[in-house]
Amino acid sequence: MKDHIGGNLKRARFQALCQTLRPDLLRFAFWLSRDMALAEDVVQETMLRAWKAQDSLLNEAAAKPWFLTIIRREYARSFERKRLATVDLDELIAREEPMLAAAQDQELAELRAALFKLPEEYREPLVLQVLMGYTTAEIAAELKLSNAAVLTRLFRGRKQLRALCGEDTSLDPEE
Amino acid sequence: MMNCAQYRRAILADPHDADPELRSHLDGCRDCAGFTERLLRFEGRLELAMRVNTPAARAEGLRRGWLAMAASVLILVAAGSLWLGAPNRSLAADVVAHMAGEPQAWARTDIAVPPADLAEVLSDAHMRLGSGAGMVSYASSCTFRGRLVPHLVVQTAMGPVTVMVLVHDSVSKQAPFDQEGYRGVIVPVPGHGSIAVLARGQDADLDAIKGIAARVQSAIVWTGS
Repeated sequence: MKDHIGGNLKRARFQALCQTLRPDLLRFAFWLSRDMALAEDVVQETMLRAWKAQDSLLNEAAAKPWFLTIIRREYARSFERKRLATVDLDELIAREEPMLAAAQDQELAELRAALFKLPEEYREPLVLQVLMGYTTAEIAAELKLSNAAVLTRLFRGRKQLRALCGEDTSLDPEE
Repeated sequence: MMNCAQYRRAILADPHDADPELRSHLDGCRDCAGFTERLLRFEGRLELAMRVNTPAARAEGLRRGWLAMAASVLILVAAGSLWLGAPNRSLAADVVAHMAGEPQAWARTDIAVPPADLAEVLSDAHMRLGSGAGMVSYASSCTFRGRLVPHLVVQTAMGPVTVMVLVHDSVSKQAPFDQEGYRGVIVPVPGHGSIAVLARGQDADLDAIKGIAARVQSAIVWTGS
């Protein structure tokens, strides 16, 4: 009986954690994959794996990075499984058009389309910083890069993105 | 001494970098101040663009029978997600959801809201704010749960911190929260609902936020209806 109650509590805590984090995890997976259906699959698999491995989560405050690490692994696995060797960017943008234009704001839709065009090596650190609130050191730890390499990617990513959006980049510094 | 190219390179990598050397350059360079303002506007739009609407969780499509327990968790998550979209979701969730609509509010700036504009916003909650609250860089009358409430941003040592004065929403005790990249606390204000104080980022110091909440609360002067 005690174990049953303990199990219920454990499940309730895990449920609450997933419920809180799911929107941001899904957004992260979406910007990683640029495919909402795939993002949903990845997050679903992530939660299953997280449920099995929950004993390795020692501190709930660290749950988000823990889930993000699993998502990145799951995304890599899905990539291997489906052999997504080539990506037709126009097709991806067309497929996700309802999502990109959901804000009914032309400028936002253009910004989302520009994010789709940004190479993954720049898009991922940018999403970790802007959406997930990661510091440079946290991004470096997650992506296994040096702080300097992360800053370079963030600089190049933001510069490319602004150019793609038609922002005035004439005053941007060269590398 | 940092030059403009070095400054711009640094803030293009991290527009919210609080390095004192960057700050010092910004204070003395009008060109870079303009550059920073434009970049922060872009940054606000970028965050909004990244916050795409997310579909509710689905429980179908489980391909493995060996995780019956996990399946039940997913069903609960699906129910939870639907609940999150319902009108009776938690006060903290509503506060956090409101943040996504006004990313431009989070800019770091030295420019205070003109006193007359601030007074007009605060009149929604029948209050004034003493100087002890700190420099208010953003003030807006926002519709929150169907009522107009003051939405303020106070510049602090830890960066911009948002304060929402929720005179129509009471809480029984202090309620910290950590959701969707925002960390903060909702504190009861006896007779006047509550105030929510929150900062962005996983490294935001909750104790410091509680301290700011106490400071803001003590700086409020209620003016009656």
